[in-house]
Amino acid sequence: MNAVKKFPEALLCTAPQNSRLCEALQKLQQNARAQLDTLALPTRKNEDWRYSAAALSHLDTLSNNSTGQGAAEAASDGVSGYRLVLRNGLWQKDAGELPENHLVEVISFEQLNESDAALVSQSTLYQRSDLPFAQLNTAHFSEGLFIRIKKNQRLDQPLVIQYDSEDQGASYPKLFVLAESGAQATLIEEFTGASGETPACTVLTNSVTELRLQPQSQLTLIRLDLAGESVAHTGLTLAQLQRDSRLETHCAGFGGKLRRHDLKVALAEPGAECKLNGVCVTLGQQHYDNHTEIEHIASHCNSEENYRCIAADSSRIVFNGRIHIHRDAQKSNGAMNNRNLLLSNDAEIDTKPELEIYADDVKCAHGTTIGQLNEEELFYLLTRGIPKDQAATMLTLGFVVELVYQIPDENVRTLVEQKLEAFIHAAHV
Amino acid sequence: MLKIRNLHAAIDGTPILKGIDLEVKPGEVHAIMGPNGSGKSTLSQVLAGNEDYEITDGEIILGDKNLLEMPTEQRAREGVFLAFQYPVEIPGVSNLQFLKTALNSIRSYHGQEELDAATFMRLAKEKIKQVNLDPAFLKRGVNEGFSGGEKKRNEIMQMLMLEPRLAILDETDSGLDIDALKVVADGVNALRHPERSVIMVTHYQRLLDYIVPDYVHVLAKGKIIKSGGKELALELEEKGYGWLGIEDSANA
Repeated sequence: MNAVKKFPEALLCTAPQNSRLCEALQKLQQNARAQLDTLALPTRKNEDWRYSAAALSHLDTLSNNSTGQGAAEAASDGVSGYRLVLRNGLWQKDAGELPENHLVEVISFEQLNESDAALVSQSTLYQRSDLPFAQLNTAHFSEGLFIRIKKNQRLDQPLVIQYDSEDQGASYPKLFVLAESGAQATLIEEFTGASGETPACTVLTNSVTELRLQPQSQLTLIRLDLAGESVAHTGLTLAQLQRDSRLETHCAGFGGKLRRHDLKVALAEPGAECKLNGVCVTLGQQHYDNHTEIEHIASHCNSEENYRCIAADSSRIVFNGRIHIHRDAQKSNGAMNNRNLLLSNDAEIDTKPELEIYADDVKCAHGTTIGQLNEEELFYLLTRGIPKDQAATMLTLGFVVELVYQIPDENVRTLVEQKLEAFIHAAHV
Repeated sequence: MLKIRNLHAAIDGTPILKGIDLEVKPGEVHAIMGPNGSGKSTLSQVLAGNEDYEITDGEIILGDKNLLEMPTEQRAREGVFLAFQYPVEIPGVSNLQFLKTALNSIRSYHGQEELDAATFMRLAKEKIKQVNLDPAFLKRGVNEGFSGGEKKRNEIMQMLMLEPRLAILDETDSGLDIDALKVVADGVNALRHPERSVIMVTHYQRLLDYIVPDYVHVLAKGKIIKSGGKELALELEEKGYGWLGIEDSANA
């Protein structure tokens, strides 16, 4: 039997614990650290990592001499709203701009009151052993931010959370968002840093964002994965929805050497609803892995999921969409759709819907397609005099633009459209 | 304008057109009629440059240029326009963007300046009114969610925008109610010009009441078996195709 492959050294050595964290969190972190010795790097045999295990080799080039230095700046990409800047996982209080209207509260984990600390430390996250990167995050995070959107309040502008990593080494941002009862807000998570191509991965951003939606609350999460090639990114979004709450996510993923997003939504109480949209594009040798999971735990919950992916050149995209309808989740309504476009013979998209249904009175539909540009559509454009390359560009963009139009923030829509156009021009269509 | 000589075309090795000869002079309107499966739509597709069809013999000359040597988009820029029998829906590409790109591609091919946004919008709104479609359609995806009649009117709208010198209407009349048929006919008639020609492929004589052709041809089994004036269409309407020694499955 082969020896278990470990995570690279750079991801295993830990800094001293932050003694200002509450006892419960320190304890959780100690447990996670104690397990680092035995934490296995996922391999192909690990179903969850089957198509992405190869990309994990890019972690080998990381060094652990993260300095955490350098001035953080708010990204100037046209996305506007309140802004929180994290650099190498640490909150930069001087950068960014927070609302002064007390609709929202941002608290370092060091200053959590007892009940908030309990909320954070009792998360189901710490009971899971199937998320090695989340375990890494627990072992390493040094601060952590708690964001509270206050009861029955509506945040008047989006709250942008900018994750910047200009440095070397790994960072472990950790966020806990509490939308209190009846609250409404839009969050924009923006992963930036290290533009330009480099031959090796120098940075890993390994983030965990937890969303807790209390009854009747409504949260929109826009997640923009825009960092440069050399930034490896493994991120987990873990949401728990209480009675009659609603979560909408819009993920825009641009490829890198190693990119992975796990989106796990638990519809925990009746009447909860989620809508998950995602657009993902890769080119060159890039990689992007989307793993989504919707747990219908309670009855009368709705879920809707739409992902569109485009892989060009010799890049690779994974979409794994799991819907799990528990035995007591009667009258569940689930719909998952994943459409994929391959722009070259060497590109690869691995898509796998996974439906597990244990209740009998449910509606659950799924559809998956993989295709190339539609010849009939292309011919139609050509008969109108449109040059072939331009026609191909229009159709490729059109394939994902339907979902981009659903992003409820105009600045983000514009940014994503620009990025997509740049992608199509850089890809060999 | 257009000279087709001894045109043979096949799809997947099956011959469909078996020697078509046709000459269309500037300003003329030709109707091509015939039973189902006679090759009418194939002829339209071949003229537009659909590469699914293999040209096995013959030639097509537009003006003094060999059409068969041009890719589809160049034929369009040379002034060939095909109004599709079944226009495709392209969600995600707006009508506006589509039309603007098409028009400007054709303009720049002829050394004309691209239209600025305001001029283009004015033109597009004018033309869409002409075919009685809601201007809101311009912002929708190409043909997305359009009814059959709306799609056909959208084809005519595009034709009015692009002002081709050879318009080919492939069963543009089928499935239309009388009002929509009049809109389509008005659009085609508005485009009639001594320097422009029209080929109407149709199964029914009805359209020819509104767009009066100079010539009518009967296509059967891949060949033109009879040509005449507009009165030939009336004769066909009355007697069917039987008297020409062919069977029309649709009228059988």
